[in-house]
Amino acid sequence: MTTVQTPRKEESQTGTVRKRLTPTQKIAIRKVLAHAFLIGFIILVLVPFIMVISASFRKGNFAPSELIPDKISLEHWKFVLGIPYQEVVNPATGETRIVKAATPPLLWFWNSIKVSFIASAGIIFLSGSAAYGFARLYFKFRSATLGTLLILQMFPMVLALVAFYVILDFTGQYIPWLGLNTQPGLIMIYLGGISSYIWMIKGYFETIPPSMEESARIDGATQFQTFIRILLPISAPIFAVVFILAFIGYMSEYPVASVVLQSSDNWTLAVGANSFLYEQEKLWGRFSALAVLSGVPITVIFLLCQRFIVGGLVSGGVKE
Amino acid sequence: MSEGAVEIKDLVKTYVDDRGRPTFTAVKNINLHIDNGEFMVLVGPSGCGKSTTLRMIAGLEKITAGSISIGGRVVNDMEPKDRGIAMVFQNYALYPHMTIYNNMAFGLQLAKKKKDFISDTVGRTAKALGLNQMLERKPQALSGGQRQRVALGRAIVRSPIVFLFDEPLSNLDAKMRVQMRSEISRLHGQLGSTMIYVTHDQVEAMTMGDRICVMRDGLIMQVADPLTLYRQPANLFVAGFIGSPPMNLLRGKIYRKDGGLAFTENSEKNALTVPLAGPIQDLANRYVDKEVVFGVRPEHLSEEVKNGSHVTLKSTVDIAEPMGSESLVYLKAGTGNLIARIAGEHLFHMGQEVAVQLNMDKIHLFDVETEEVVH
Ligand SMILES: Nc1ncnc2c1ncn2[C@@H]1O[C@H](COP(=O)(O)OP(=O)(O)O)[C@@H](O)[C@H]1O
Ligand SMILES: [Mg+2]
Repeated sequence: MTTVQTPRKEESQTGTVRKRLTPTQKIAIRKVLAHAFLIGFIILVLVPFIMVISASFRKGNFAPSELIPDKISLEHWKFVLGIPYQEVVNPATGETRIVKAATPPLLWFWNSIKVSFIASAGIIFLSGSAAYGFARLYFKFRSATLGTLLILQMFPMVLALVAFYVILDFTGQYIPWLGLNTQPGLIMIYLGGISSYIWMIKGYFETIPPSMEESARIDGATQFQTFIRILLPISAPIFAVVFILAFIGYMSEYPVASVVLQSSDNWTLAVGANSFLYEQEKLWGRFSALAVLSGVPITVIFLLCQRFIVGGLVSGGVKE
Repeated sequence: MSEGAVEIKDLVKTYVDDRGRPTFTAVKNINLHIDNGEFMVLVGPSGCGKSTTLRMIAGLEKITAGSISIGGRVVNDMEPKDRGIAMVFQNYALYPHMTIYNNMAFGLQLAKKKKDFISDTVGRTAKALGLNQMLERKPQALSGGQRQRVALGRAIVRSPIVFLFDEPLSNLDAKMRVQMRSEISRLHGQLGSTMIYVTHDQVEAMTMGDRICVMRDGLIMQVADPLTLYRQPANLFVAGFIGSPPMNLLRGKIYRKDGGLAFTENSEKNALTVPLAGPIQDLANRYVDKEVVFGVRPEHLSEEVKNGSHVTLKSTVDIAEPMGSESLVYLKAGTGNLIARIAGEHLFHMGQEVAVQLNMDKIHLFDVETEEVVH
């Protein structure tokens, strides 16, 4: 640490007459490299996205090839938005027909938003209160239960498809609106996937010093008031994150939804979009338009939640 | 009036794990009476059970055995809010999402007090604490000292019978600490409430407490006012814990020499020997040829003879720390290492020979087995 090697000394040792870079030049080179890397990365992320957008504006239903479509057409968007349009059936005779979706795709869009929003809100409620229990209350088999949750979450939901089917079939016999082919039924299944969120929120709760809640308790707050008025507001960032993650997940969830929801007016966007990919003919255009559409609510939710995900919300209350 | 008296009887706390199995006994049967209006300091090294005791008084921790009464009522199973206490935490524990005003008003709002009453109480308290300009800010926008003052204000507005403090100044810088120390003392003078104050800092304990309760490993070692604690430590632990620099403690034997008694440090050769003089001889008589710990405070080693019986020790200076009006001098006398607090604006240098006068009236002898003082 005491000796600082000067460039000149090094030169004389190696005997080369290499041109030395000044520190400013070194930093400049590093900056260029970093930017090149980042730009490459952005391209990697953006290209598929742009391909989907361009496919939704391209005439015909081909798998996307060039990025900028040569013939721009709004037919897929019209279809998706439920606006009838004319399509040429036979170019030789000039015969046309009016195309309009049997089930308006916007209904699927609305279904998706409904299901995702309610399920995510439910997730927040359930995993939030469960996490509070795990983080702050002491009861028998607490760590055993936590461990079980951790292991269970490692199995993908798809593995339980058969079970979900049977469960909903059963509940449907007694509570028709909660059975197969109902959105409440799907939401109920979705609410089962809370274990990873419990872990996330519990981890956050544990970073909040208990003295804040103890203070509230001395101030006369009940346990419930403490939870609602102290812990929840402080934990807004993690709830925003969980809401976004859950919402994104449910907007694009396909396997469970496709098994549970059978009639096309119940479908969610993901199921509806997949219905355009027939074995014989894959209607990429419509699929892409729907995919872009599904990004809209996600973006809106993200922008709404973003203001809660600010760091330092807890800071100031305590000193570690 | 005894409404703020706190009575702790045979108090035990054993922590348990999730399954209810005992893990650690942090408080082992303590008894303590705190008078109405008294400033009681619980002091001791970290982990000795001070916070646990305080938290049991607050009602934040369940009592394993024994009882706690506040103002004559047993509070064992009472909710914290009903005990008439308020607590100030080491980490302030403010509500970060609320304004200072709401932080202070929270308890009153929950108690459904009238709006006028709340704003009046909070306003007055904030003014007294110099916080009235910051009521609309969030805790984040305050300095450490201001935050702790908000925590103090939050306690005051509840007008508790007993204030509980858990190391409230540990997170502040040295200067702020001294200032807040006197502020809390002044507050105690103004309110006259009972205050129980936990700290690991013996200077804080000595300067603030009406009485001090020294704890160690879940037991009370001594309860006394600061001066008694300093002058008459009941045992080795208190002797070593209270006082800075600490009391010189030398382990050795009492034996007869030249018709009198002397103390010799345990050592192969060149051991420090102190001929005993004065009243200490009567105590030492019971320990002839037995091991004892010999204790003397640094200020009772001096250069000039004051009144009382003295013994001169030849010593050499090891290290000296001049502090201006006095010096802390680390001396070697035989094998013995002694710290002396020598008054006067002297400079000592290493290796210098000093003949120090040991004030024999201020000697403490401790039993090696029981660690209790011999008296
Ligand atoms: N929840 C707990 N479970 C088990 N042991 C604990 C718990 N809280 C504190 N202890 C132990 O009890 C002892 C006393 O703790 P505490 O009262 O906080 O000490 P201090 O005197 O430093 O305030 C320490 O050894 C600590 O490790
Ligand atoms: Mg403590």
